[in-house]
Amino acid sequence: MKDILSTVKDNREIAENIYMITLTLPEKPQTLHGGQFVNLATGDSSLLLRRPLGVCKSAGNDLSLCYQVKGKGTKKLTEAKYGDKLKVLLPLGNYFDLSEYKSVAVIGGGVGVFPLIATLHDNEDKDLYSYIGFRNKGAVCLLDEFKSCKKLTVTTDDGSYGEKGNAVQAFFKDGPNVDAIISCGPPVMLKALKRELQERGIKTPCFVSLEERMGCGIGACLVCVCKTADGANARVCKDGPVFDINKVEL
Amino acid sequence: MANLAVELCGVKFKNPVIGASGTVGFGREFNELYDLSEVGGISTKGMTLEARLGNPVPRIAESTSVILNAVGLQNPGVEHFIKCDLPFLREKGVVIIANVAGKTLEDYGAICAKLDGLVDMVELNISCPNVKAGGMAFGIKPESINEVTRVSKKSLNKTPLIVKLSPNVESIAINAKSAEDGGADCVSLVNTFTGMIIDIERRRPIIANNTGGVSGAGIKPIAVRMVYEASKAVKIPVIGMGGIMTGEDAIEFMMAGAKAVQVGTANFADPYAMPRIAKEMNLWLDNHGVKAVKDIVGTVTLN
Repeated sequence: MKDILSTVKDNREIAENIYMITLTLPEKPQTLHGGQFVNLATGDSSLLLRRPLGVCKSAGNDLSLCYQVKGKGTKKLTEAKYGDKLKVLLPLGNYFDLSEYKSVAVIGGGVGVFPLIATLHDNEDKDLYSYIGFRNKGAVCLLDEFKSCKKLTVTTDDGSYGEKGNAVQAFFKDGPNVDAIISCGPPVMLKALKRELQERGIKTPCFVSLEERMGCGIGACLVCVCKTADGANARVCKDGPVFDINKVEL
Repeated sequence: MANLAVELCGVKFKNPVIGASGTVGFGREFNELYDLSEVGGISTKGMTLEARLGNPVPRIAESTSVILNAVGLQNPGVEHFIKCDLPFLREKGVVIIANVAGKTLEDYGAICAKLDGLVDMVELNISCPNVKAGGMAFGIKPESINEVTRVSKKSLNKTPLIVKLSPNVESIAINAKSAEDGGADCVSLVNTFTGMIIDIERRRPIIANNTGGVSGAGIKPIAVRMVYEASKAVKIPVIGMGGIMTGEDAIEFMMAGAKAVQVGTANFADPYAMPRIAKEMNLWLDNHGVKAVKDIVGTVTLN
């Protein structure tokens, strides 16, 4: 874990209100796995919190992150241009460890799709079945990154692209026989996934990546907690963001 | 190279920079970024007799130059600290300040008794704005500050007592004096200001607790004023905090009367904030021909 002064290589809108920023690091990060995140400074010193963003792509010294423009900080990030310097703390959190599995279903919704991409790249030797959902056609992006998948199903809420519906519905409709499931997306989607798995009695190991408003990003401030199945608190930033779906309350 | 060492209540600090309670946990995480011995001290996460789960999430929000938090004293309990975290901190050679909170006067007495002689200093949290019965009840009125200080002091035969003051009060000077009269060896201030941030799209406060504590660069001028007033009101040392982001900010607090400073929110903006601030203080002192940081304490002259 290190705070690094990165150089902006590229920063562009890849879908409606969604940007991908690519940072060049002065040195290749030691490890950066799919599921891990970084804490990125916005470039506005009046914003005291970093923005925790999941690793989308990591190649050589370059690191790509995707973000949805939601507030002042992400708005400021859109202004970052080639050559600008931004501080980035990385790598943070745990990751999707799929070493034991041969076939994996990948279920992503909205901005939750992006942190899954790095995991796909880490696991190209496996049979990957991806189900990704977006709000509408305007939000669909980065489909090329799913080329290594054995199967890709894209859904939109309004049916303007791909299948009408959501990624969880598409996964259960398809019902692939996989060794593990990984997922990232809005809380309502993860809840639906957990409920469906329980109702159908599916015991396939399932790992989800959670999101929460964060302070330090390194586990010290106890701001970003989630409830665990045994009633305790876990830190999303340090104990997660990836959790066994049965071990957290969603 | 200026001399950054300071001494408060007989406790020697390598430099005046102390990690503020709640922002640095028990030091382990920041020690992964730099050697904790680079900072003067660590004030631990606020501890209670029993473990607490804290408030629901979201627990944090942000506005221009400030953040708002309501963690609600999540902590593993004092026994866990003594067993699991204290040995680690001891090994680091950093001054250990145990920040403690309670629901009742008895709680304060009991938790202080458990820590007496084990830590370098105890800091009473009587100003947490985020827990109904978590200290704030004691931190507003001078009489109750005096009382909780007396009860806590009775349980501390070996360890000096810091009372952390709330800024959400009528007179910081009177409250500082009542802590001193109650037997405090030191006061620290300011804790966070009670605040609220509303998500105007949802027409709801962002954090689950609705209100929380405001900290960060934006509160600094108010904090400096309060540190000045408190340091004029008492003879015991004052630890200043509230929006310190740079070495120059820290120098400002010391000129206002603080003998040491705590750094909190800056740790989120810059994970290396504390060692950086110590270096920047040294640079300022060198550039101004000041040989020792203790020589600037209280040197502000009013117009």
